Amino acid sequence: MAVDELQAIIQRCQILEESDFRGEDFNLFQVAGQKCLEDGYAAQLLEVIQNEKNKVIIKNMGWNLISPLVRCILAYKQEDDKRDDKREHCLKILDQLVQLCNPKELFLGLLEQIEQTSGEKVCPTVMLLLQPLQTVLLKLQNKKAYSVGLSLAMIMNQLTPLPVPYTKQQIQEDKLGLCQCCNAVVDFAKPFVNEVVKNMEKSSEYNDMELKEELLKFCMKSLKYPLLTAQLEQLEGIEEQPFRHFATEIIVSVVKMNYIFLHHKGKRSYWENQEFEDIERKNSADSLACLSYLMFVQHFGINCFPMVFSPSYLLQCNMTHIEVLVVVFCLFASFFSHPQDLFENCLLRMEDNSLLHQYLEFRDFINVPQDLVKVMTLCPIEHLRKKSLNMLQLFIDKFDAEGKYTLFRCLLKTSNHAGVEGYIIQKIKDQIHLSLTKAHDNVWFTRHHLISLLDLVLFLPEGAETDLLQNSDRIMASLNLLRYLVIKDCESDNQTGVWTTLAKIEKNFLKPLHVGLNMSKAHYEAEIKNKRENRRVYSLTVSEEKMPAMTTEMQLQVLHSALFTFDLIESVLARVEELIEVKVKATGIKA
Amino acid sequence: MALEHNAGLVQTLLSRRSRAPRRAPRGLRCSPPERRGLSRRHRCPEAACKGQPRAEVPLVALGAPAGASVVAGGPGGWLCCSCPGTMTTDEGTKPEGEVQAAALAERGEDITPARDRGVLKIIKRPGNDDESPMIGDKVYVHYKGKLANGKKFDSSRDRNEPFVFSLGKGQVIKAWDIGVATMKKGEVCYLLCKPEYAYGAAGSAPKIPSNATLFFEVELLDFKGEDLFEDGGIIRRIKRKGEGYSNPNEGATVEIHLEGFCGGTRFDCKDVKFVVGEGEDHDIPIGIDKALEKMQRGEHCVLYLGPRYGFGEAGKPKYGIQANAELVYEVTLKSFEKAKESWEMDTKEKLEQAAIVKEKGTMYFKEGKYLQAVIQYGKIVSWLEMEYGLSEKESKASDSFLLAAFLNLAMCYLKLREYTKAVECCDKALGLDQDNEKGLYRRGEARLLMNEFELAKCDFQKVLEVNPQNKAARSQISVCQKKTKEHNERDRRIYANMFTKFAERDAKEAASKTGVEKEAAKAACAQGLETAGAGGKEAEGHV
Repeated sequence: MAVDELQAIIQRCQILEESDFRGEDFNLFQVAGQKCLEDGYAAQLLEVIQNEKNKVIIKNMGWNLISPLVRCILAYKQEDDKRDDKREHCLKILDQLVQLCNPKELFLGLLEQIEQTSGEKVCPTVMLLLQPLQTVLLKLQNKKAYSVGLSLAMIMNQLTPLPVPYTKQQIQEDKLGLCQCCNAVVDFAKPFVNEVVKNMEKSSEYNDMELKEELLKFCMKSLKYPLLTAQLEQLEGIEEQPFRHFATEIIVSVVKMNYIFLHHKGKRSYWENQEFEDIERKNSADSLACLSYLMFVQHFGINCFPMVFSPSYLLQCNMTHIEVLVVVFCLFASFFSHPQDLFENCLLRMEDNSLLHQYLEFRDFINVPQDLVKVMTLCPIEHLRKKSLNMLQLFIDKFDAEGKYTLFRCLLKTSNHAGVEGYIIQKIKDQIHLSLTKAHDNVWFTRHHLISLLDLVLFLPEGAETDLLQNSDRIMASLNLLRYLVIKDCESDNQTGVWTTLAKIEKNFLKPLHVGLNMSKAHYEAEIKNKRENRRVYSLTVSEEKMPAMTTEMQLQVLHSALFTFDLIESVLARVEELIEVKVKATGIKA
Repeated sequence: MALEHNAGLVQTLLSRRSRAPRRAPRGLRCSPPERRGLSRRHRCPEAACKGQPRAEVPLVALGAPAGASVVAGGPGGWLCCSCPGTMTTDEGTKPEGEVQAAALAERGEDITPARDRGVLKIIKRPGNDDESPMIGDKVYVHYKGKLANGKKFDSSRDRNEPFVFSLGKGQVIKAWDIGVATMKKGEVCYLLCKPEYAYGAAGSAPKIPSNATLFFEVELLDFKGEDLFEDGGIIRRIKRKGEGYSNPNEGATVEIHLEGFCGGTRFDCKDVKFVVGEGEDHDIPIGIDKALEKMQRGEHCVLYLGPRYGFGEAGKPKYGIQANAELVYEVTLKSFEKAKESWEMDTKEKLEQAAIVKEKGTMYFKEGKYLQAVIQYGKIVSWLEMEYGLSEKESKASDSFLLAAFLNLAMCYLKLREYTKAVECCDKALGLDQDNEKGLYRRGEARLLMNEFELAKCDFQKVLEVNPQNKAARSQISVCQKKTKEHNERDRRIYANMFTKFAERDAKEAASKTGVEKEAAKAACAQGLETAGAGGKEAEGHV
């Protein structure tokens, strides 16, 4: 019987000196103990362990029981209540082992258990072993910092593959136990953080640098996973949103350990260890972006953040983070609007027209609006598209005239989307209107600067062959702008300079547009005629998915709506030309 | 610009305080002795007072209601706040913050360039040093900030860490850029800041409400010149701030005046126009090119260049400058015209320019000016690496430029001993042409120099696969083998030493256990050290 076997080996060892334990004793002890557990003799095993006489044996050999013990406890958990007292015994055994065993071996034993779990067992195992692990770590004399770091890294590595709950329901359900587990891990780290803080108060020497670095590494890792992609808003019906709680705790730790991230961007000697620093710089972008979001948007730890930075500097620092967030959130196809929210938060601190155009020399300031355009045109989630458009609008508003001008130029050249170009052209019109109506004139949206901008607007990208349908948004906006200019600006004033450049506009824009319209109309009319005579069903595939076949009626409808668009363009074009002609005639100058 | 302020402003403030001519003409710049004179005159009228800091109360006197008698100084007079003689009994009846704010509103000095009373200042404790920070300096302060209702919203002391920022760069609220620039080292002052000079109508959620007037107590702990690249290689101190925020970029055409000093003697003084990154053509060291990218139009500054950013190991015989000399330059950026940003150029333009800069890069390379060559080749990469939508012909031309650029960059980095970068460039070149002989060979060289012998050997072997005639590669392979062997031996030696050290430690421990054996242990130690020091042969025997 298992218990007898155990008793036998115990009795043999009781008379031995500690140093006389042999390898085979360890083996026999482990096998017997494991058998006891498997056969359900936990109570008896507990008795053996609690026996004062066996103290030395347990101290040396006890850690061997960790593995079967953990297996048993987790197995009992899944079964019914009848096993409750057995589970209770097992937990007591674990408790005893933590008290009695040699910390160094026990530490490795515990860590090994965490390393070996996977899948849905990760969280229960970690939850079970955190308390013992903490006790052991607090007992360790040497290499404590290293061991704490190793434990945290191991735990986070095991958690990282788990999916982060997303919806309210998922969070409430917490199927894998991740929410609960994360918060338990923070509690686990707390005494160590407090130790670092206490030492920092005692002296400014870097005596605890190592532990501090390990803990900060853990915080940074947590910011990346799970916080970066987690739901962080307050949720109705959940009193303590687990991820908010986790985030608060992490940030409190970060702040307590005096890590001001934003301002020390270029600071070199943060990490004691140079190697650390290089790895860290590469990996920390996501974490820092998340930290920034939590501080500024969710106001976690903002109380400890210096309140003397200028709004434009805050924006400048956050631009990098916003760029990182946009990329990450696109990658995860996230439903959340963290990047846009952080951007909005920074922009709302600024007054309109107050951002100097020189900021556009920072790469992020040019990249972020381009990223937003990509979200606006490519993202499948509507509220993100809308929000991005709003942010782009807000961003443009904050710049001074030259900044707006540069931004327009850049976006016109890079957006590759007729809708966005149409939108920008409309914005240009608004700016011209402002410069013409305001008392002080604005050099950037009149005369030669404007003309060079108009060169980018009033032309057809591929001349008469341009696809007018595809570009209709842009063309309509351009025509509207031109119409506005010729109505608003008298030829005698020529404030905008449009009259000087009229010949060029005709050559690059109006004439090819005429030709293009005629060609397109003829083509579509022929197509309609063709369709009517020769009814066929076409099929169409969009990104490997077969679209429902279009009936001829539907095809005809599409073709007719195209023709309608051409008519619309043509009528505005006619109106513009009429206006030009009238004005040119009136002054008698030929354009 | 509200951020604009210069030495003249500081002078104005000083002269006002000292009851000397009420307002010195703005922009007037004094030499240091004059400045010192001014500040000596405004010492505290109480002879016994040494301007020592007295923590909480001092300013209250200044906040006394208009009717109360104030001992020293009439209206506009300058009071030392730490002086007990100026105290009245009114203190303590009002909350401290309110009293201070009231005092500032009443008596604070308007330090705004616009004279709109947007920032008012009172000195609580004068500085112990006469020097003020210059624009761009890294300044260290402790501060406490309060709202008008006396509520503290921020304090660096609570964080137990001084607050650091770059002065005059718009990093902090306008009031601070103006206020801290007027301070002396060690000074403590109060600042009252109108919303226009702080967070304005927008406020700063969640702590600063809309249109809030802010009160600060600031102590200037220290300041130092700006370390432009965070490597101590170029330290800048700005004598006169330039206009706006715009800097010349790489490839910009600049017009500057410069004076170069080495060991106290001037070796160069000229007005010169050149392209940033090509200063070498005019005997201007690379550090000036780099620093210019951080300067603004009209800026006048002093630059302290380390040897790496100066004339380096080669020195400059033309100016009689030795190898590895440290240089000091005084530079004024008179004007500049920026080079086009990458997004402003179309493909055709980029390809045309690429041909030009490639030539230029090669020229620098041949002269051994590797840093300058890197700049030129780098341009090709920045223009063409991310260029999309090229026609077939353009794409071919672009790839050939990129390949050449990466290969040449790799060569430059080899010469500059930046091996990781060299490997990166080779990787990119090989991404374009995986069998490129030069790419493989150079990566091999870089890896060899990084002590990655096995990888290096692989590269050289690949070179031979591509071109069996390559003799250099063949000999490099044998170098690799030789080095691997040497390296292994060195490892062995190190480990052998380690064992000796372990033995030593054990001996020590044994010695501490029994006092009697101490002497013997010492001898053992000494012996251990000797064997360790003797190095190679003996130790090898251990393994």
